[in-house]
Amino acid sequence: MEQPQGVLWVLLVYKIPREPTASRAQVWRKLKRLGALLLHDAVWVLPATPWTREQFQWLAVEIGELGGEAHLWESRLLLNGQSEVLVQQFQARVDVAYQEILKDLSQEEPDLAALSRKYQQVWAQDYFHSELGRQVRKRLMHARGGFAS
Amino acid sequence: MKWVTWERVGVDRMACAWLITKYLDPAAEFLFVPAGYKPLPEDAEPFDIPGVRLSHHRGHCTFYTMLREYDLHDPVLQRIARVVDEADTVQEVNLEPAAAGLDLICRGLRLVSPDDQVALERGRLIYDALYAQLNVEA
Repeated sequence: MEQPQGVLWVLLVYKIPREPTASRAQVWRKLKRLGALLLHDAVWVLPATPWTREQFQWLAVEIGELGGEAHLWESRLLLNGQSEVLVQQFQARVDVAYQEILKDLSQEEPDLAALSRKYQQVWAQDYFHSELGRQVRKRLMHARGGFAS
Repeated sequence: MKWVTWERVGVDRMACAWLITKYLDPAAEFLFVPAGYKPLPEDAEPFDIPGVRLSHHRGHCTFYTMLREYDLHDPVLQRIARVVDEADTVQEVNLEPAAAGLDLICRGLRLVSPDDQVALERGRLIYDALYAQLNVEA
């Protein structure tokens, strides 16, 4: 992974009519699903990759169709250390979810099918390749005495 | 006729090009412009570019839009549209386990192809195969 200060971010700022609330909720759920981080109740942030750029781009189009307005930027943080903090926030969030999976895995007779689906969902938002994610994957593969690869 | 899209094609555009050649315009000629490039060539129909007619609408992929715009009601094509929707966009409901794999294969296909033209040509085989298998299951 690149150095945090070198991380390029995509930023989405939007407003959308209050009604219908379903439209607002739809956009909000998609942002959560992408694993975007909301800063100061104003700016949604993701690390910039061709994939995240494209997802934000289509979301901006969708917001326009729902009667809203969206602006999409790509930028770097200039203040010392802020990029690291942001990366940590992204990691902390997936790590909490990974911890939950690990906890469930230690229960008796864990539901491996459900837990592997959950792993895939968390992994899709694991933009900085958390070490804990690797552990969860290993544990899932070893579960029931399977062979890890 | 000519069709234009942005460079670096992926799962949705490969599906669209396959659909165009197979169902709409067998002699289709595809042009590629850099992302964000303007103006678009006037003599070509743009697709999968934000804001154009044949693009993402209401959270659906361009392939889905094309089925609607051209009144294609084949249930196998509709099923492919669902797969591409899940492969290319964030969906709350995910019903097609093939979606993530298809996305990965199409991205890889672009990597191993010298240019977008060749990637679209190779992509046709993937969608012919997908159509054939989903047709068997239908």
